[in-house]
Amino acid sequence: MADLSALSSFLVAAVGLGVPLALAALGEMVTERTGVINIGLEGSVIWGALGGALGALAAGPYAGLACGVSTGALAALCFALFAVRLGTDQIITGTAVTIGSLGFTGAVFQSRFGATGIALELPTVAALELPLLSEIPILGPALFNQAAPAYIAYLLAPLLAWLLFRTRWGLAVRAVGESPDAAHAAGVPVIRTRLLATVFGGALAGLAGAHLSLVHTGTFAENMSAGKGFIAIAVVVLGRWSPWGVVAAALFFGAAEALQFALQAWDSELPYPLFLALPYLLSLAALVGWFGRARAPGGLGSPWPTARR
Amino acid sequence: MLTRKALRSTIAAAALLATAACGSDNTDRSSSNSADAPSVALLTSGPVSDAGWHAGAYEGLQLIRDSLRFRVSHQQTRTPAEFDEAFISYAQAGYGLIFGHGFEYQDAATRVGPQFPNVTFVVSSGSRPGPNVVPLVFHLNEASYLAGMAAGAVTQSGIVGMVGGVEIPAAKGTFIAFEAGVKAVRSDAKLLETHTGDWYDVSAAKEATAAQLRQGADILIHNLDAASFGFFQAVREARKAGGDAWALGMNLDQNDVAPDVIVASAMIDLPAVFLSTAEAWEKGTLRGVARYAGLRAGVVDFVPNPAQEGVIPLDALERIDSAREAIIAGTLEVPRIEFVEEEAAADG
Repeated sequence: MADLSALSSFLVAAVGLGVPLALAALGEMVTERTGVINIGLEGSVIWGALGGALGALAAGPYAGLACGVSTGALAALCFALFAVRLGTDQIITGTAVTIGSLGFTGAVFQSRFGATGIALELPTVAALELPLLSEIPILGPALFNQAAPAYIAYLLAPLLAWLLFRTRWGLAVRAVGESPDAAHAAGVPVIRTRLLATVFGGALAGLAGAHLSLVHTGTFAENMSAGKGFIAIAVVVLGRWSPWGVVAAALFFGAAEALQFALQAWDSELPYPLFLALPYLLSLAALVGWFGRARAPGGLGSPWPTARR
Repeated sequence: MLTRKALRSTIAAAALLATAACGSDNTDRSSSNSADAPSVALLTSGPVSDAGWHAGAYEGLQLIRDSLRFRVSHQQTRTPAEFDEAFISYAQAGYGLIFGHGFEYQDAATRVGPQFPNVTFVVSSGSRPGPNVVPLVFHLNEASYLAGMAAGAVTQSGIVGMVGGVEIPAAKGTFIAFEAGVKAVRSDAKLLETHTGDWYDVSAAKEATAAQLRQGADILIHNLDAASFGFFQAVREARKAGGDAWALGMNLDQNDVAPDVIVASAMIDLPAVFLSTAEAWEKGTLRGVARYAGLRAGVVDFVPNPAQEGVIPLDALERIDSAREAIIAGTLEVPRIEFVEEEAAADG
């Protein structure tokens, strides 16, 4: 019984660490499906964490989630206006958005709470226990006794799978990503599709950030995104640009991280960097051995229209 | 020839990067001090809003401004590549005393030092003195040892936790001393040690702490920057769930950072150290040797949280007090990591 409770608390930790990655990666997957790689995702995550914190302090945890979604979307809109509308280099623009966001959120936090900071105790989003599902042994409490963002991630996977592969809209999105010229010739508004997909990705990354501050930790600190936006971009590759794959990869990565912390607390003999490397080593192994080679959307990373004067 | 597209890219990137720079360069231009006042600069490698290690340095800088009427400036550097550049730009701008707050600035200070013989570079937790490079060595391990004694007295389960960021020498020293302090009081205690690899990753710190709590740790210390907020949250949640867990603060007096879960802090009075360093610099006595700050100088200490009086048993507090006296008298040697080369200065 003791082992079972250890297992289920490990799974709770795995889902807690995996959900923000799943949300951010699902959004980035849609963005990348239109041919845009948003390296500024990290910026949306930290804006979501701060927006969530400020919104929750002003009007409660759910307002905080909404606020996090909006601030994350705004950061992505900023990226999209340059990278999609003006056709600037996506990598450089995304890096600028990330660095700018880390600086700006810090400035806002310090101006609101003092330069030397305080350990905020935020109102957190309570877990909603799903009847029946949460009674599934072992997996139930971990997966189905979670706060709203986790359920959004679960629901988005089938919804996005259906939208992307079963609807005209999804076909248009994928066409824009594979071959923007062909999509344009077929009458698909390339710029608008890319803009919307990028903002959608930012909104989900913002929700991921709000999950960090309002669900997982109940506090905010500068730089607390700590590279999760970048890991989410890797998770998209690991999940092979498919909604189910991305959610599975995110939870897998979360589980590897949770395992790593459990092992470190268990055994202090081995050097800790070995443990820290564990999630990345497992991901590499999965990338090699899982299901063959991944193929990125054909037009990924290239601005459109390409031949501009 | 620059194409319109390339031009647009460049302008866009420049605009975004410029706003980014504004976001984290906190040069204090509001100071009323005259322009010819001595100028002191501070570099931190992380945000000063961590209510801990970096915050203490920033408070020190403010204290220098307010007490000595010096002109001050602070800048947060992001990557090691920026360390040299930041030192050089401050030195060229006429700053006479530049603090690099963290051992990570040592190499850059050693490289840049010889180019600016009239500028003094101070490296917190530094390891290599130079003619104008001054490592500040904090014997925080002494306070950590006393915190360990408190933990050994408070723990019911006999399992004590330590959550760190990156195992740099100074941080490792605090954990080694902490462990010795725990064992001095309770020789059968089990110590758990986790590093998250990141000073700011709040959720990693929270999860690492939660993993230790699940393994039975009931009093834990950290050595983190802003990620400590997640460490305190995990202990707070364990208490709310009915557990009897406590946290210890580190680096600064953090007792008021999370007064409901912190029983005591192992602290450095960073503002006082910064102020006395700036005063020594003004008098011209700050030269080429490491400066030590420990219990004896009164700038490192173990401070119980008045809001949690009674958690640490009275007899344990008495033992801690006599250990403090013994450390000051030199009769009790606290384990530490020796990382200063060419030990030159007398202990003070």
